Amino acid sequence: MSDHHDHDHDRTVKPMVEEITDFEVLEIALRELCIEKGLFTAEQHRVFTEFAEQIGPTPAARLVAKAWLDPEFKTLALTDALAASKEVGVDWLEPTGFGTPSDFHAFKILENTPTLHHVIVCALCSCYPRPILGNSPEWYRTPNYRRRLVRWPRQVLSEFGLELPKDVEVRVQDSNQKHRFMVMPMRPDGTEGWTEDQLTEIITRDSLIGVALPKPGITTNVFSATRSAIRPVVQ
Amino acid sequence: MSTAAERAKQLALISRLRATYPEVPEWPAPDMVTHDHFLAYMKTPHDVGGELNVPEPFVEKEEEQWELMTYVLCEVLGWGGIWLSEERRRIGNVDVGRAVYLGLPYYSRWLWSVGRVLVEKGYVSWGELTDRLVEVAARYAGGLDGRLPEAQPKFVGDGSTVTRNREHTEMVGVGDPGVYTGKAGKAQFTVGQRVRVRELPALFYTRTPEYVRGADGVIAEATYESPAPEDETWAREDAAPEWFYIVRFNQSELWDSYTGPDNDTLQTEIPERWLEAAS
Repeated sequence: MSDHHDHDHDRTVKPMVEEITDFEVLEIALRELCIEKGLFTAEQHRVFTEFAEQIGPTPAARLVAKAWLDPEFKTLALTDALAASKEVGVDWLEPTGFGTPSDFHAFKILENTPTLHHVIVCALCSCYPRPILGNSPEWYRTPNYRRRLVRWPRQVLSEFGLELPKDVEVRVQDSNQKHRFMVMPMRPDGTEGWTEDQLTEIITRDSLIGVALPKPGITTNVFSATRSAIRPVVQ
Repeated sequence: MSTAAERAKQLALISRLRATYPEVPEWPAPDMVTHDHFLAYMKTPHDVGGELNVPEPFVEKEEEQWELMTYVLCEVLGWGGIWLSEERRRIGNVDVGRAVYLGLPYYSRWLWSVGRVLVEKGYVSWGELTDRLVEVAARYAGGLDGRLPEAQPKFVGDGSTVTRNREHTEMVGVGDPGVYTGKAGKAQFTVGQRVRVRELPALFYTRTPEYVRGADGVIAEATYESPAPEDETWAREDAAPEWFYIVRFNQSELWDSYTGPDNDTLQTEIPERWLEAAS
């Protein structure tokens, strides 16, 4: 690797200067021009930023926990997922009055059964039920997941540690138009008598995508390796 | 300024960026291009389902501040009626071409699409954008020096005369696609019916994945009415809504040498124009 070492030499002798990135320059320039042209108001930008900062997977987990405990609510979740979302505090028409433009206003929950397992992907981009599940993980957006899940779902699921028996039908839902999908996993054994709060804890984001199953004692997603940002979101 | 050596170095870098099949020379004569290669070059680069890839680790990523700001910028432009999401999805995922699609970060393409739509639609001129890029870069020319990059608009513009789409007001209270409910007439296909996905020569944009084109499936559900993305992406106000369907495919029929059980399935949503009855 001596060649590689030579190339690095340049960098190691220069003093470290923290420079603005090309992406930051572009974002700032575009935002300034939009504001100067009156394309949106400062208030709209502020409201949407606050909305985007508070979304996450908790309401989705609570929705499934409620459905596990209440058969009537489960029926609502499976027939009118937008109405069920409201019951856990998520109105898909917020914050604009017509929703988050990229996520549209059509939501469907896919029920797993002892003989049917769902898993979602957007092979065309990154369609994801963002208002109720938060931002998609980076891996969900990668060409690798999108290329392979539709064609080799069992192999990809096994990479997440999920091996499904042959008598369980694997159904891939490619979410590619205006519908957003989420999986309703089955309630696992060993949770008898649990409260809604206890159940919510084990319903991980990954189990709602369909790459994992809820399990007593497991409250985290499958992979924790995280690439750090240069300048992360300002809290 | 740059030196001649620096300019040569950047040209050498660009020379290594490959965007063509190696078996055909660059700038081919018409007789060198086969039908299959033509289709491959015309394929919308966002449509990656079924392409070959070795397994790679799945990782999470911490979000950059500019990535959050980019997402918000795109969404408030939608809120303000400057574009539809379907315009953004084409401009940032398809119009960029394959090299940028695969070569740059996810949100950088969202950002690219903002600049592109503002210039294309005449909200901002190329000169205004270029001048501002130079100006912002100059503000931080000596490095950030502990500062965070910050937007500093010179003034707040009067938005009352800005051209905006009609959808951003019509959709309030009903959402998209709810705004199109009842506007497509009778659905042509019924649940349980066998259908075939048409093999249309889809230039420029589509959201019907290539991997299902020509395949047979079954209607699982008639879902909603909406203009097809192939019209909506150019914000055609005359686009007629049509029915969309969730179509279910049998995986072992869909893929050559599918390795899972015979009853594994895949579902995807397809507008009516892409479907025909199959026996």
